[in-house]
Amino acid sequence: MRILVLAVLSVVLFGWVLLPVRTDGISMLPAYQSGRLTLVNRLAYWRRGPARGDVVAIRLAGPNVVYVKRIVALPGERLRIDDGLVYIDGRPLSEPYVRSRAAWNVPEVSLTADEYYAIGDNRGMRAGDHDFGRVSTNRILGSLIF
Amino acid sequence: MTLTFPRIAAALAAVLCVFLVWQRWGSADERAVRSRLTALAGDLNRPGGEGLAAVSRAADIGGYFTDDVVVDLGEGTSPIVGRSTLVGMAARLERRTSDANVRFDDVGVTFGRGPGLADVSLTASFARAADASGQASIDAREFVLEMTQASGQWRIARASAIDTLR
Repeated sequence: MRILVLAVLSVVLFGWVLLPVRTDGISMLPAYQSGRLTLVNRLAYWRRGPARGDVVAIRLAGPNVVYVKRIVALPGERLRIDDGLVYIDGRPLSEPYVRSRAAWNVPEVSLTADEYYAIGDNRGMRAGDHDFGRVSTNRILGSLIF
Repeated sequence: MTLTFPRIAAALAAVLCVFLVWQRWGSADERAVRSRLTALAGDLNRPGGEGLAAVSRAADIGGYFTDDVVVDLGEGTSPIVGRSTLVGMAARLERRTSDANVRFDDVGVTFGRGPGLADVSLTASFARAADASGQASIDAREFVLEMTQASGQWRIARASAIDTLR
């Protein structure tokens, strides 16, 4: 019976609450090396939305393949990127987690009440090779817990 | 009636098993659609070879699409229209994509539009083995597919890439 209880708890815990994720790729360097194992807390945003600086898992068609990105702008804010520097509502954003910056440029976008803006930490790569942009709230599965 | 904790756990386990089986198997049509997509991934991953083998593989892959299929890869690209165009492009890309492994995850199937019509959402992953620099890579893209059933076979009539991050 204990084994059964443990099996049920494990399935529930790692199937719905703490989603195991193996990062792949270089877009979150240096914080997340490719191949690192981590967990997504799917209850993190049960009572509140993501905060700026949170590293979140963003689902594609479902929870088995996700983007891991950092939230840099919140719903209702305006964002632009000039020469690699992110500006929120016209003010430069302090991003201590970014170690290198290429000269990315993104014209100003206004986020709706249901959108966040997510980017990886590795801004040294070509912008064209890096998936980033606006994301709907319902695509954010949860935050990475380590 | 008082339920003890082991009984609650057993009941939960039973409910979970039923849910997992239901989620896994679905209806006969859903199984057919899923199995068709699994077969497509298998054929895409089959080494192409050259000459007749390449022609045979291209014909096999073409069989998963309708004659008038439209493949929309998103902003900045023109839609690919027609099975022959698609198969021709796939054959030309063969050399560049032969070391890539394609898989479909999170396949969701719905049948809301009528008989013989299915809407599918999935994540297509393209994994490349390590190149000369030792760097392996994986690229994932979300797609929605419109599939139609004719002569007992499910075929893709439209495939559209979704921009998860816009």
